Amino acid sequence: MRNLFMKAVAVGAVTMLALGATACSNERDGQGGGAASAKGFAADSLIGVAMPSKTSENWVLAGDLFVNGLKEAGFKADVQYAGASTTVADQQAQISAMVTKGAKVIVIGATDAAQLATQVKQAKESGATVIAYDRLITNTADVDYYIAYDNFEVGQLQGKALLEGMKAKKPKGPWTIELFSGSPDDNNSAVFFNGAMDVLKPLIDKGDVVVGSGQNTVKQTAIQGWKAENAQQRMDSLLTSTYNGGKTLDGVLSPNDTLARAILTSIKGAGKPLPIVTGQDSEVESVKSIVAGQQYSTINKDTRKLVAETINMVKALQEGSAPQVNDTKSYNNGVKVVPAYLLPPVIVTKANVAEAYANDPKLAALTK
Amino acid sequence: MSGFQEVKKNLFGGSASVSRQFGMIFTLVAIILLFQVLTDGLTLTSGNLIAVVSQYSYILILAIGMLMVIVAGHIDLSVGSIAAFTGIVVAKSMQNLDLPWPLAILLGLAVGAVIGAWHGFWVAYVGVPAFIVTLAGMLVFRGGNQFIGNADTVPVPEGFREIGAGYLPEVGPSTGYNNLTLLLGVIACVAVVWRESRARSTRREMGTQNAPLWISGVRLALMVGVIAFATLRFAGGRVGTSLPVSGIILIVLVLAYSFYTRNTVGGRSIYAVGGNARAAELSGVKLKRVNFLVMTNMGILSALAGMIFVARSAASGPQDGLSWELDAIAAVFIGGAAVSGGLGTIGGSIVGGLVMALLNNGLQLMGVGVDLVQIIKGLVLLLAVALDVYNKSQGRFSVIGSLTRPFRRQGSSPAAERPDSPSDSDRLPVRPLTHRKTSV
Amino acid sequence: MSAAPALLEMRSITKSFPGVTALAGVDLVVRAGEIHAICGENGAGKSTLMKVLSGVHQHGTYGGEIFYGGHEVRFRGIRASEDAGIVIIHQELALVPGMSITENIFLGNEPRKRGAIDWKVAQRRALELMEQVGLKEDPDTLIMDIGVGKQQLVEIAKAFAKDVKLLILDEPTAALNEADSRHLLDLLREFKRQGITSIIISHKLNEIEAIADSITILRDGRTIETLDVRADGVNEARIVRGMVGRELSSRFPDHTPDIGEVLFEVRDWTVRHPISSERLVCKGSNFTVRRGEVVGFAGLMGSGRSELAMSLFGRSYGVWLGGRIYKNGVEIQVKSVSDAIKHGLAYVSEDRKAIGLNLLDDIKTSVVAAKPAKIARRGVIDQVAEYRTAEGYRRDLRIKTPSVDEGVAKLSGGNQQKVVLAKWMFTDPDLLILDEPTRGIDVGAKFEIYGIIQRLAAQGRGVVVISSELPELIGLCDRIYTMFEGTITGEVARADVDPERLMTQMTTTRKMPVS
Repeated sequence: MRNLFMKAVAVGAVTMLALGATACSNERDGQGGGAASAKGFAADSLIGVAMPSKTSENWVLAGDLFVNGLKEAGFKADVQYAGASTTVADQQAQISAMVTKGAKVIVIGATDAAQLATQVKQAKESGATVIAYDRLITNTADVDYYIAYDNFEVGQLQGKALLEGMKAKKPKGPWTIELFSGSPDDNNSAVFFNGAMDVLKPLIDKGDVVVGSGQNTVKQTAIQGWKAENAQQRMDSLLTSTYNGGKTLDGVLSPNDTLARAILTSIKGAGKPLPIVTGQDSEVESVKSIVAGQQYSTINKDTRKLVAETINMVKALQEGSAPQVNDTKSYNNGVKVVPAYLLPPVIVTKANVAEAYANDPKLAALTK
Repeated sequence: MSGFQEVKKNLFGGSASVSRQFGMIFTLVAIILLFQVLTDGLTLTSGNLIAVVSQYSYILILAIGMLMVIVAGHIDLSVGSIAAFTGIVVAKSMQNLDLPWPLAILLGLAVGAVIGAWHGFWVAYVGVPAFIVTLAGMLVFRGGNQFIGNADTVPVPEGFREIGAGYLPEVGPSTGYNNLTLLLGVIACVAVVWRESRARSTRREMGTQNAPLWISGVRLALMVGVIAFATLRFAGGRVGTSLPVSGIILIVLVLAYSFYTRNTVGGRSIYAVGGNARAAELSGVKLKRVNFLVMTNMGILSALAGMIFVARSAASGPQDGLSWELDAIAAVFIGGAAVSGGLGTIGGSIVGGLVMALLNNGLQLMGVGVDLVQIIKGLVLLLAVALDVYNKSQGRFSVIGSLTRPFRRQGSSPAAERPDSPSDSDRLPVRPLTHRKTSV
Repeated sequence: MSAAPALLEMRSITKSFPGVTALAGVDLVVRAGEIHAICGENGAGKSTLMKVLSGVHQHGTYGGEIFYGGHEVRFRGIRASEDAGIVIIHQELALVPGMSITENIFLGNEPRKRGAIDWKVAQRRALELMEQVGLKEDPDTLIMDIGVGKQQLVEIAKAFAKDVKLLILDEPTAALNEADSRHLLDLLREFKRQGITSIIISHKLNEIEAIADSITILRDGRTIETLDVRADGVNEARIVRGMVGRELSSRFPDHTPDIGEVLFEVRDWTVRHPISSERLVCKGSNFTVRRGEVVGFAGLMGSGRSELAMSLFGRSYGVWLGGRIYKNGVEIQVKSVSDAIKHGLAYVSEDRKAIGLNLLDDIKTSVVAAKPAKIARRGVIDQVAEYRTAEGYRRDLRIKTPSVDEGVAKLSGGNQQKVVLAKWMFTDPDLLILDEPTRGIDVGAKFEIYGIIQRLAAQGRGVVVISSELPELIGLCDRIYTMFEGTITGEVARADVDPERLMTQMTTTRKMPVS
């Protein structure tokens, strides 16, 4: 009996082992390290695109453009968005899945730029090229390229627009303003803010521009998760704390359109006159608002162009040539300087809104 | 048909809970096979399996603690916040105080224990419902995370990352596999065989009928086969990868806690408290102490899960731990625990968690968007639980339980053969007591 | 046989559940205007039969025919049977504790005026109905604020609000004290005069003997016989014979007590109510238990017997105000249940299902639950020892189950009680306190449990039995204490027992001289 038992075990084990072994094509050999980019890859390879959650129109638009653009270029596309509440963990899992599927290039619009090191490393080791899209991935040596609009310049343009707008309304200072910056987990937030402060700081120091609440650092002005509700809450409290006694607010530096509209909503709700409010991203509602004379400015970072340039990069990688970059100094992610390709942003106010969006079918209609 | 059921009963055991687990394992295998086909074999590649383990190990660790909390009749909504809070404390301690990472891990566990004890104090000694206590904790420690971290992302050093992103080192001769993983696999196989033969001798000692030998053989062959397959997969990944360190931590915890909940006096008292608190109290179980320890333990495991996630993400961030409580709770309920407490197993919860994990992973590999994935996961949770509730309302423990019942009648113990029941009426069929405990 | 026409006739009713036949052909004829009792051991099929009648088991799921008022009826739910005037009042009352008497009486049946509930009419009708069932309370009183006896009356008033023709009471007096029981039985006689037909299911044979016109006895899902109480000269022994299929020569096993020295002594035990700080539930109680002695505690519900027992058992009820416990003449400290178990106390509670057992457990786990350390090494439970222990008790106590792996929820009341007894026997106690050990248990199992109690005493342990049934105490105990409103009012030795005197002591605070 006992013998039979051992025999059964042995036979079973050997069978299953054999089965297991044959079913297992060992993945140990084959794929080499990051050198793959030098040789290029098949023209119908899989390209992974990992986007943050669908909180802004631009990400949705970019996703659609990637799907179509990559397909046109002959690639297979896998475009994924992170979930609304579990963003980081989702994105981590999605990037892993793309690696598993054998993506040759992975384009990442990071939700939290500092928490992807492990996945990026995994991607790199599997031979994929990693492109940080719009947001620089930090804390890792495994990012190959960075592509974005020049965000420092975006900030500068926002600062300039704010000043121009206020001057046009009230020729003589001092002007009272409030500052808003983006989500602290987005690497760009500080870049925008610093760009704007590059313009505003001299005037603040001179006393021509006054920050009403005195809150003038990135930390104090941050809006967690780029969420409209958080911006509205902050504006509400600023109005209560600082502008209750008849002090007028001349301008608000807002890093993007979603926040700008939330800020305007808050001010309207309080029944105060609308100040000059900047923005960014050319969202439909904000363009309408500019045309209606409420929001002062936005930035046109044409997502089409950015996606098109990214796809150009992918094409270059596919052919085995080096993609075009125009900045190899500025973008240090904490571990290395990431070669970057920067596109110039365009400021849009009521004055140039029609010409700025002439090429955009959706927005052009709004400006007529 | 009946022959098949007898074989199944012998292979997987006859009791209702075991049957339930069999159902879940069956579902898990079905999901794996389904996605294996749908993804052209990507699901069972080494790379993917390794990724799945390291992606979900922290959720499964939470599920272990959550199972015990739910069995004791409570719930813990704060696990994600505790994880995030511990994560930022540990990250900051290494960044600002230059604490060596092993000490930082101990610090993290201590922080978790203190938070868990805090919750345990309110639940056990003051008597505030755990739902409220941990809802408060969820807010307090989420806020604490942002307060300490300034809603910022704080990177952690390389050594610390090992517990979340690390692998076993490559040692010994070049076999084409990760040797240490192979070694673990061999140990697991030996352990499984040893356990089966011990179980047989135990049953002999008890004077119970043993299943035929060939049944044991087939069962062992199946288990050894699965272990061998898994071992080769995990050992055969890219050079430098193996069974992830976080996976090893998970396995150790699962084994230890399974043993504790099943085979020790302390583990039993958790089930007793959840099944009938007053009866447990009148049997000498120290109710308050059990509740306190269960909540404290949850705190420690949350802290561990948080640290593993931080290690894997290479940084602690403000969004860590969001919605983890929901994943952990879902895993436990899919794994067969009862909402009202007293029922559920660690193994079941792990299988429940794996069902969710592989579903998630498979859908992602297919390129299904997060929105749809959430819808599907939600429906799976609802269906899994609804099916069980339905089966119970029919007076059965589960479909499978009901199928195997006739055999339990005749089989399993010599008692059944004794014709000593003058009135069979004492063994009425269905006492609808299961209504009282609508388990899920 | 009485000449009245049959109101209800159930013919060869069969009903089976997967694997088991619950009813194997039951015939029941209930004549208009009579009180008809249904007797049978637990599991004989009484409840299933009533579920068939009330439509809980819908037409089509059972075999046989039901004629009611001369027509065949096929009920498809409780609603349908209630519309026909058949109302069942279950043992577990279906009242909402947080609602008033009026609201409960008309729950689901509210008098309406233009869609809204007409509370004026409801109030007036409620008062009428309460008058009818002899319930004197403010109709706005919440159900949770009145006693079980009155709740039962509310339940009956609720039935009357539905224009009942056939009233079915399932164990109506199980939870009532003597006075309330008597009131309820009087009420049934009153209904009979008003022409309402009743079916009563009860284990209390003396009540049945006193009130029923005819009795149908079920055994193993079959009708054994229908007795006409007056014509057939029915007495308790006759009913028991029908139920168990044999004459129980004595309802109590013979035994010769072997009583030793004083084992336990309780002095000046005083406990107050857990919430109300003025109410004392035990007032300076003194009593002793000797080795090998079975000591009874008689008292009406609410007399403080269970409260005394539970507070002795590790202060698990109320707030301890004073008193000492001596074991073998030495004072012991019993401040928690684990202390109590350590000092050899065991308490088998009154309500097995609510506080005696974890119904999710299997038998073997339940048996060792009170002292798992006994079969554990360094906290790890020895599964073989556990199984063997449980097997031992299964054989010893004749617990009817295919295996000790079965869940306790599946056992009948008597077998559950045996499991609870096993659980406490396993702790090897010196003193066992058994609170209503035979409540809701059928006759055969009762006899076995009496035997177990006497065996425990014969082993030199002390046993305290708390019971509402005087005959049980008189038959079983060597000595009986009586309690009334938290005070021990008397002590009677077996030889001097006089039921009337016991009853007097149970209903008055006047201390009787110790006999």
